[in-house]
Amino acid sequence: MHEMALMGEIVQLIEQDAQMKKIKYVKKVELLVGTLSNVLPDALQFAFDVYKMQANNSLTMDAELIIHIEKAKAVCAICGSQYEPVTKIAQCPTCLLPSGNIVEGETFRILAYEGSLTHENYIGS
Amino acid sequence: MKITLEVDVLTNNNRAAAFNRQLFEETNTLVINIMSSPGAGKTTILEKTIETLANEFRIGVIEGDLATEKDADRIRALGAQAVQINTHGGCHLDARMIAAVLPQFDFQHLDILFIENVGNLVCPSGYDLGQQHKVAVLSVPEGNDKIPKYPTMFMRTELVLLNKIDLLPYLDFDVEQAKEDLSCIHPQSKLLPLSAKTGEGMDEWLHWIREGVARCKKQSISQ
Ligand SMILES: Nc1nc2c(ncn2[C@@H]2O[C@H](COP(=O)(O)OP(=O)(O)OP(=O)(O)O)[C@@H](O)[C@H]2O)c(=O)[nH]1
Ligand SMILES: [Mg+2]
Ligand SMILES: [Zn+2]
Repeated sequence: MHEMALMGEIVQLIEQDAQMKKIKYVKKVELLVGTLSNVLPDALQFAFDVYKMQANNSLTMDAELIIHIEKAKAVCAICGSQYEPVTKIAQCPTCLLPSGNIVEGETFRILAYEGSLTHENYIGS
Repeated sequence: MKITLEVDVLTNNNRAAAFNRQLFEETNTLVINIMSSPGAGKTTILEKTIETLANEFRIGVIEGDLATEKDADRIRALGAQAVQINTHGGCHLDARMIAAVLPQFDFQHLDILFIENVGNLVCPSGYDLGQQHKVAVLSVPEGNDKIPKYPTMFMRTELVLLNKIDLLPYLDFDVEQAKEDLSCIHPQSKLLPLSAKTGEGMDEWLHWIREGVARCKKQSISQ
């Protein structure tokens, strides 16, 4: 449910940038999604496919979504060890306390997109 | 051609939240974003709160719901200003929806603005509205397991109102366990048991609000 709204944000941000650059067709979008960011890649892909079919944005019908996954990383506030937490309650495997500060894994960013100014250009490339 | 963007997906929301926050700070308004699952008692708590505080403070309310003006009407019946936002299927309020209705309030003559978010324990927690305080409401009939099951909500709220404690004798909700679960997820936050129906525990919540207003006013004097 939530991913549809988030994909709306993504499409809007890309439209804003594409309009400035006079880009008419967007054929690829690259995201970085942390494993603790609360978004499901499958649901994002589904939402992307829905937006692709709509005429009111620059995404082409065969546009591609690439999701790079950012692994979670926590640093224990007590012993300083680094580990991969399973949940946001980052339990340190050494201290067995939820003492970890999450330093990676909560990211949800648009990295890049691929676009072209004309349709010919898009078919040709 | 490849264009590197490198932007947070919630950039537009965060920009609007910063705008809201600046307005709230410049006008010394205490703004509280109240979140819970549907029916936990957000509107009832607000009704009881306004009944008591209406003589002390000037209060405004933004009501977020998928549809209808029902909750805003309940607040208006008490004489407070309420603006209803209908999200038409949207599962949360975002900062742009808030920014769009702010001109309807007279911030020079407002002490507190409550924002009742859409009933949902997941999505609202991800959207900054520009508020100073986030409060979650959890109710006794929802059961003991909600804090560990929905950690993102309870990690981001500084206060949890445990509502409907008048029902404790009939249900197997363990208050001490809930306190322990909360302190495990978010040690700085606090669980406050109350009943909007009987009024039990409401005093501590009202005290927390009064302190918040005092803090806002003090900032204005020191500026
Ligand atoms: N027993 C009991 N019932 C309560 C209490 N507080 C609220 N209720 C009841 O719970 C139901 C839902 O309350 P609301 O205040 O509408 O809940 P809400 O969180 O605003 O609901 P939504 O806006 O739909 O998400 C109503 O029937 C209230 O009368 C309480 O402290 N005890
Ligand atoms: Mg309500
Ligand atoms: Zn440790």
